[in-house]
Amino acid sequence: MSREITAGGKTFIHQHAAHCESGVASALFRDQGFDISEALVFGIGSGIFFGHLFFVKMVGLPITTYRSQPGAIFRKAGKRLGVKFVTQRFRNPQKGMDELRRLLKEGKIVGMTTNIYWLSYFPNRFRFQFNGHNLIALREIAGGFRVSDPVLEHPVDCLAEDLERARFAHGPLEPHGFMYYPQSVPQNPDIKKACILGMKDTCNMMLRIPIPIFGVRGIRFLAKRIKKSPHKLGFAEACRHLANIVRMQEEIGTGGAGFRFIYAAFLQEAAELFGSAELIDLSKEMTAIGDIWREFAVMSARIIKQRGQTEDTFDNIYDILMECADREEVLFRKLKDVVRKLKA
Amino acid sequence: MKVNEVPQDITYYEGKKRACYALNDEGKYVIVPSSGWSAEDVVNGLAVAELAANLEKTRQEVLKGLKSPLAYHMERRQMTPEILAKTVGMLSFRVRRHFRPDVFNRLKSAVLERYARALALTEQELKSVPGMSSEERLKTE
Repeated sequence: MSREITAGGKTFIHQHAAHCESGVASALFRDQGFDISEALVFGIGSGIFFGHLFFVKMVGLPITTYRSQPGAIFRKAGKRLGVKFVTQRFRNPQKGMDELRRLLKEGKIVGMTTNIYWLSYFPNRFRFQFNGHNLIALREIAGGFRVSDPVLEHPVDCLAEDLERARFAHGPLEPHGFMYYPQSVPQNPDIKKACILGMKDTCNMMLRIPIPIFGVRGIRFLAKRIKKSPHKLGFAEACRHLANIVRMQEEIGTGGAGFRFIYAAFLQEAAELFGSAELIDLSKEMTAIGDIWREFAVMSARIIKQRGQTEDTFDNIYDILMECADREEVLFRKLKDVVRKLKA
Repeated sequence: MKVNEVPQDITYYEGKKRACYALNDEGKYVIVPSSGWSAEDVVNGLAVAELAANLEKTRQEVLKGLKSPLAYHMERRQMTPEILAKTVGMLSFRVRRHFRPDVFNRLKSAVLERYARALALTEQELKSVPGMSSEERLKTE
């Protein structure tokens, strides 16, 4: 946690967050005097998800996502809490940067969607072409901006040139300089109602999407594909695919196990809010599931590193993923029943 | 995950830390900064090594005169011809054509400047790759 002064003379408290989008959204809410944790925003915005998009390729490898699509948390949380956002996109980069400068001079802090490759304050290993990273601009400084990137521990400086490239990068999911700030925050937002809506939506997304690559069925789909992959692709190529799945889980912001833990933290907070013992149990179960996801990552790393010289095989990975799927299915079915009984 | 189980294995985040949610002794979730995890390092290392190997292959091809330096610089920015084409506002087949050294060497400076801006390089940097001798550099100019 560290303090920063914005151009308007207000104090901004930077908090370290596990996910950029929920981190930015909660920081914007807090700046408006509405104290809410990252985990609550993540849960209300239904941030948790699973999907194996085998037909969408990034560097030639299929995408596995453990989160809802970029922008969804922010949009859904805003709607469910009754926070009105001003959002803007630009065709002309110059206009986009001018508008940002104008808002910052007014003393506002502004959330933005950027391309992570062009943000040079990140370690090189994290820089890759992905157009869905969120951060907040706090104020203008000489040659650039002071930005609060929730994924980092402290606010950092960002060159104006870098930020312009990052905001107007091209490729899949182009941000077009997307920026947003809250216009009004309701006096007494109904957090309980928003939590219920968020949990219901999450259950539906995980259990009821009739396409077998999403939700719990998506995990099973992935498990089957991994089991077959050494026969279909050869061992080396199968390792490459597996490494990419784990990489998407742990490394590049699509965080699998990490997201399970944020959701567990959300369930814990919700349990306190509603005084519900059942939600505490579900939070514990979610933590246990997150631990299995981590075990999956460890086992995969072992297979990849030792080139098949361990006792772990792709069949073991299949088993572990199937266990994840089964336990998540039970959990979300229970959650659905529990939510029905909750009163806003 | 408990607080004491949060991985602190490696420090390749270059001094930066990432937030992890973990349970403290009272069973409450708190945010703990993590300095890296070895399992993560294995898979990410593989991806980084692969990118570096491909980039080196392209560099060698440029030195042999099979590809233009543009191909190298595009790969260095982790772009695809499609992304680069959109960034400079050309059709992607035209960008691909510019990967041919003979075509690239005849490009007008206006076109080169568009590429240079898109890749955040100077025109001089765009025309060469690391390891090129000064004679070769003269040839491409």
